[in-house]
Order: sequence, then C-alpha cells, then structure tokens
Amino acid sequence: MNAFLAIIGRDLRLATRRGGEAALTLGFFVVAITLFPFGVGPEPELLGRIAAGIIWVTALLAATVSFDRLFRADMEDGTLELLALAPLPLELAVLAKAIAHWLLTGLAVTLLAPVMGLMLNLPEAAYGPLVAGLLLGTPALSLLGGIGAALVLGARRGGALVGLLVLPLFLPVLIFGISAVEATLIGLPLAPHLLILGALLAVALPVGVFGSAAALRLALE
Amino acid sequence: MTRKQRRMTILGVGLACLAVATALVLTALSDKVTFFYSPSDLAADDAGHNARIRLGGMVEEGSVVKEGDGITTAFVITDFAQAVPVRYTGVLPDLFREGQGIIATGRMDQGTFIAEEVLAKHDETYMPPEVADALKAAGKWQMGDQP
Amino acid sequence: MPNFLHSLASPARFQRIANAVLPWVSVLAAVLLGVGIVWGLVFSPPDYQQGDTVRVMYIHVPAAWMATFCYAVMALLSASFLIWKHQLADLAARAASPIGACFTAIALITGALWGKPTWGTWWVWDARLTSVLVLFFLYLGHMALSAAFDDRERGGRAAAILACVGAINLPIIKYSVEWWNTLHQGASVFRMDGPTIDNSMLWPLLLTVLGFNMLFVVLLLVRIKSELLARRIEVLQRARASGRG
Repeated sequence: MNAFLAIIGRDLRLATRRGGEAALTLGFFVVAITLFPFGVGPEPELLGRIAAGIIWVTALLAATVSFDRLFRADMEDGTLELLALAPLPLELAVLAKAIAHWLLTGLAVTLLAPVMGLMLNLPEAAYGPLVAGLLLGTPALSLLGGIGAALVLGARRGGALVGLLVLPLFLPVLIFGISAVEATLIGLPLAPHLLILGALLAVALPVGVFGSAAALRLALE
Repeated sequence: MTRKQRRMTILGVGLACLAVATALVLTALSDKVTFFYSPSDLAADDAGHNARIRLGGMVEEGSVVKEGDGITTAFVITDFAQAVPVRYTGVLPDLFREGQGIIATGRMDQGTFIAEEVLAKHDETYMPPEVADALKAAGKWQMGDQP
Repeated sequence: MPNFLHSLASPARFQRIANAVLPWVSVLAAVLLGVGIVWGLVFSPPDYQQGDTVRVMYIHVPAAWMATFCYAVMALLSASFLIWKHQLADLAARAASPIGACFTAIALITGALWGKPTWGTWWVWDARLTSVLVLFFLYLGHMALSAAFDDRERGGRAAAILACVGAINLPIIKYSVEWWNTLHQGASVFRMDGPTIDNSMLWPLLLTVLGFNMLFVVLLLVRIKSELLARRIEVLQRARASGRG
C-alpha cells in the first residue's frame, strides 16, 4: 500500500514541480473551449444549448493530449523498468499512475467545468448532472487512455496515434455523460444515466489496468 | 503470495468489477427510460415547456395535408391514445406515409409540434409488392405491428 | 483444436494447404457472388415499399455482416497469438484488418446510398450507422498501430492487445450507441419467429452473403501468402547482404 501511495505522490510532485505539466492540460481545456464561441457565433441561446457537449468533448480531447506523456517520461529515465521489477504488481502500479493522472487532469477539468459553463451560458439545471457525469466519467478516461499511452511506447508518431486508438473507446462515456445532462433538461430521470456511467467505470477498471500492464510489459521487452 | 495465488486474486478482482458493472446496468434499466416522448407523454405533462424534444409515433391515416407553399406538410402523430398535430417544412423521406412510424425533433408551439427534422422508422419487412397486395387481400395485413 | 492450429502454424504446411484450397475457394466465391449479385440486382422483385432501392441490400447487408465477422476473426487470432505466440496468427490478424476495413467502408458507402432515397438523408447519426463507423475507426487504429513500430514483432503484439481490448469494448460501444439513438430497423433475418424477408429476396441475399464469406477467405489466404513471401525475400536479402559483407 505504501508503494502504491508513493507512486501517486511521486507523479503528483513531478507534475507540479516540472514546469507545471498539469497546468498544460487545463490550459488546453480552457483555450479549446474559448474557440467554440468564435466557431459557432456568440449567441447565448445557441451556446447554452451546446455548452454541455462542448465541455464534454473538450474534456475528452484534453485527456487525449495528456496521455502521450503518461508513461513516456518514465520509459525514458528507466523508472518503468524499476516499477516492473518491484514487488508491487505492475497492475497496481498502473492503477496508481491512472489515479494520479485523473487527479491532475480529470478532477481538475471537472472542477473547471462549472466556470466554463458560466462562460457558455449553460442552463442552470445542467450544472449538477454535468459535474456528476464528469466526476464518474473522467476516471474511466484515465484508465482506458492508459492502454493507448502504453501501446504507443516505442512507436513512431506516438502522439497522433494515441488519439486514433483511444477516442473510439471513449465514445460510451461521452454518450452517457451527455445524455445525463439532456435527460435532466427535458425532465427525464437522471439516475439511470449516472448508474451506467458507474458501470462503464467498473468495466474500464479491469480492462484499463490489465490492458495497460500487458502493453507496458511488451514495451519493456 | 505465489504466482498462482496472485493470478487468482487478479482474476477475482476483475470478475468482481464486471459483476458490479452488471448490477449497475440492471438497476439503471429497471427505471423506465425513454428516448422520445409519445403523444400520451406530451398530453400528460403539458406544462408548456418550450424545450426541444423528440416526438415519436405513427402518422395518423388521412391526416397528411400539403400546404400551399408545396414544401410545408401538416400531419398528426398518434399513439392510438393521444394525438399531436405536427407541422414540418422541408423534404420528407421516401418512407414517410400514413400509418408509418416516425420520429420528429422539434418543439411545441401553441398546441402544434413544430418539427425541425423528421425521420422515418422503416420497418424490417421486405417483400415484393404482389405479396403485399396478396396479404392485404387475405386480410392478414398488419400495418401497425412495429416495435 | 490447439494441436490442429499448431500443425497449421508451420509456414510451409500453411502454404501447401493454402495452395491446395485457394483455387476451389476462388471459383466458389466467383460463382456465388456472380449468381447472387445478378439475381439480386436484376431478377429479384422490387420491394413493396422501397421499390428498386431495396437492391442495395444485396451488397450492403453482406458487407455489414462481414465487417463484424472480420473483427471477430481478427480478435480471436490476436488472442491466440497473445496466448500461444503463433507467428501465423499474428500474420493472419494483420492480414484480416485491411480486409475488414474495406468491408466496413463498403457497408458505410452503400448504406449512405440506401439512406438517401429511403430515409431522406445520406447520413443520420443513427445507432447502427454510428457503431459501424466506430468499427471502421477501430480497424484504422489497428492498422496504424501494427505499422507504427520499426520492430514488426512488437507492432504485431501491440496491435493484438488493441484488438482484444477493442473486442471487449465493441459490444459496449454498440449498446451505448443504440441507447443514444434508434432509427434503424430491427433485425430481419435472425429472428425468433423466422425471417421477415420474402423468400424471393432471401435466396439471392444468402448467396451474396456466402459469396462475401468466400471472398474473405480468398483475400485472407492471398494476403497471408504474400506476407510470408515478403518475409522470405527479406531473409534471403539479409543473408545475401551478410554473405557479401
């Protein structure tokens, strides 16, 4: 357990001290969102209708951009080999890294989402389901994205490849995240959508952890 | 922990996660979830909400009227309990016809549903016209038995 | 079964079997596709609602079935490669993915051509269309990943892991997309109460379906064979180069 926490702590410290890597993802999130009013026009009515979609899609893209760095630095400085040799199973080490990644990107994006909602004229009733959906959905993104990040280690043009590999896997999370918001707005019950997001997280946990660990073992051979 | 024990633990945790997922999905599905409103749903809560919704149902027989501009169509969507008048400006799909199931997206405006988009739900029965005629002649034709 | 696969896994034996089977399967594929397509496009009756438009079905439906079938084959091959480390399974999985991508593209394009007259639009974000589109992206990802490594062995293993993860996710994606939007008609052929498609249309459809299956086998065998030959050439070239050096 100590080793597990140590990995989380190490990743958090590294991200905050090494030139604010965590801030990069958030910066991307905010900048990409501010592009939308330029793209579709500034009418508050239109923006309000698509605000939840903009925030969700941008959250997916921001997560995708951050995956390229998830294992690469550890691979380059040899940390990954030590993790693979350590008594802690590689699966748990992967889980620890996914948790750290979520704290730095998913959680931060979730906390920023209401502010972005204000800028995009998000309807008042939508804040609750949007944040609840992001809170359940973004951990699944960190877990599934880990597979992509681990698979492209050692590949040429890894960065662009990660997007192609993981974005289709994110689709269910996006669908149920958005349908939670939409259901609330037209007065349908919210609970089933959140339950399904929870179920997706429960599936992403073993798939992400075992998939990433298998891919990392391959990269280390 | 031996290698075998570790493997069994990992497998157990994985299966437990899948069991949790199944339980969550089943709980979610036990709630009634709808993808579109039926005319009865609309009649039940006519709070006059101005939100964009999807309305699904059958096009009532004999209700389709082309308006003067040649591109606006008025018709009635029914679920055989309640009916909602609909207006749509635009090109309708080929399969749009009376008695056919459709889904319209739009909003309510003073008792009329103003559709922005109309999609035909095409049924899963494929047959030559002669067979269809024969079925009709034999009285075995059931136009409304779509899911 | 593993024993049988093991015996197949020797490239020389595979070549022998493939060479023996290939001409027969090719002829079978040509006959089935020829008869099925001519029957479907010319002689079968038009539909009572859709008219002649329904003829798109004889290409669209087999292509769509093959798109999923091909992914299942690819995932099984990938899993057996990861478990038993058969080189040939890796080769076959990688040979299967561009074929599957082509079937998926055919299904998407003919689907658009069919959608325009029947639904009134080239493309709707309907459940089945969307999940087939995602399937197409999964194929693209698989192809890109297996080609992205300098070391071919590693590319194959990475792509195999991806194919297995995709196989787990595919039903989830399909289910969620269906939840998200449903417009496509229900299944016509595989139903508890028998097909709801008339026999005069079912027969040509079954012929083209079988034809597409045979075509898949032909293409797969040819691609594996040519890949084996390419590797052989590489080995020979390397041997010659080191012999000279």
